[in-house]
Amino acid sequence: MKAKIYASLAVVITGAVLLYAVTDFPNFGDPHSPANAGVKGGAPSASIYYIENTYRDTKVPNLVTAVLADYRGYDTMFETVVILTAGMAIFAILRVLRRDEDTEEAAPVDRSIDGDHHRIIVGITCRIAVPLIQIFALYVVAHGHHSPGGGFQGGVMLGASFILIALSGSLSDALARLGESSFIRLACIGIFIYAGFGFLPLLVDRNFLDYGALAGLLMTDGEEMARSHSMLGVEIGVAMTVMAVMFAIFANLSTRGRLQGGL
Amino acid sequence: MVFTIIAALLILAGLVFFFGAAVGLLRFPDFYARMHAAGKGDTLSSLLVIAGFAVYQIGGVHDLSHDWPLLLVVLKLLAIVVFIYLTSPTSTSALADAGWEDGIDPIIEPGRENHLEDDLRPPQP
Amino acid sequence: MIVPFDILILVFLVIAAVISLWVKDLLAAAMIYGIYGFLICLLWAEMGAVDVAFTEATVGAGVSTVLIVATILNTRRKSTD
Repeated sequence: MKAKIYASLAVVITGAVLLYAVTDFPNFGDPHSPANAGVKGGAPSASIYYIENTYRDTKVPNLVTAVLADYRGYDTMFETVVILTAGMAIFAILRVLRRDEDTEEAAPVDRSIDGDHHRIIVGITCRIAVPLIQIFALYVVAHGHHSPGGGFQGGVMLGASFILIALSGSLSDALARLGESSFIRLACIGIFIYAGFGFLPLLVDRNFLDYGALAGLLMTDGEEMARSHSMLGVEIGVAMTVMAVMFAIFANLSTRGRLQGGL
Repeated sequence: MVFTIIAALLILAGLVFFFGAAVGLLRFPDFYARMHAAGKGDTLSSLLVIAGFAVYQIGGVHDLSHDWPLLLVVLKLLAIVVFIYLTSPTSTSALADAGWEDGIDPIIEPGRENHLEDDLRPPQP
Repeated sequence: MIVPFDILILVFLVIAAVISLWVKDLLAAAMIYGIYGFLICLLWAEMGAVDVAFTEATVGAGVSTVLIVATILNTRRKSTD
């Protein structure tokens, strides 16, 4: 109880300090604030540059995706690596690789939906919903540079569709569609795709992740379209990694790392 | 103008059903009755409110050759309705099943017990 | 951006955060954390940050709630403090 009082005291004081700091903020969306207009007498700010030049440079209407995947592509690449590292950490902590005789005995509980009227409604609805979710997720990935979304959101939705299969039926159903060896491979292939898009421009003496150099390889007219298409490729890599890691985390957490049985 | 009035009426009807669902959730006596109120009221009122949005969008169409993107919005709203009608009753059913398997007893008037009860419930460990 | 709507969402956010800390049943706390995620998603969508709102809806409200519930079901349901 005492600890709780001290903790709430600390929270209240921190909140008060943060609220005091808010009074120094510029107004919401103020075009003359330093973040938007740049410092007086200095160079124009980065946001002005992005707003004015994104469509000219990359032919991508959604400038959030353009900033994430192209201008700040190096950050996004290592964010994806962070996700892969999280998946590897979960694997290293939770996964039980040795055969456990007790769970082998307890495992064969038949949880298939055929003949079980408690599960048939949920099972059939999920069978209808999962393909639609996956199609929408692919749309989000592929259309990420024209509308809200992108590789991360689409990848999470793809992972969630596999989690839905595991929740509605059993984990072995989901593992039959995306087994352990496949999701480990997919997670690494995603990073490899992203890093490959970054590495290819180095071969023609351009900078790392300078997608404009891929115009010849991708057979596009002009460097702008090459950057646009490369963003799509990079997002596919992000989506693969995120999907695999999300499902891997769920599979390991829900079975205490044995990958059999399930919730 | 007509479309706006119809849309407002639909949204108001939806809000009435939402209110009914909320009152039922707070006032009904047991788990199954509360869940029934929440599930049914939620599903119907979502349909009414989203239909109101769709009618309002149709009211904005004056020249079909120019305003056709608004109809795409209507199509997306209808897709949302289809999804809610697929998933909301399913989640209510799954919740009822989970409550039953967990051993929550419904409040039943004496003398009207359902004799299916013993068949449906799995044996308690 | 509509200021009264913002204030309403922020009040609900604070209420959801406090309740999810206060509840003893961790499963209920996980569900209220999901509500918190959806409220943040609503706030961001309403302020115009649609990409961030989309991420929050998929990650914060969707997958992380499922992961927390999976963890709770494999550990303990009651909180000790």
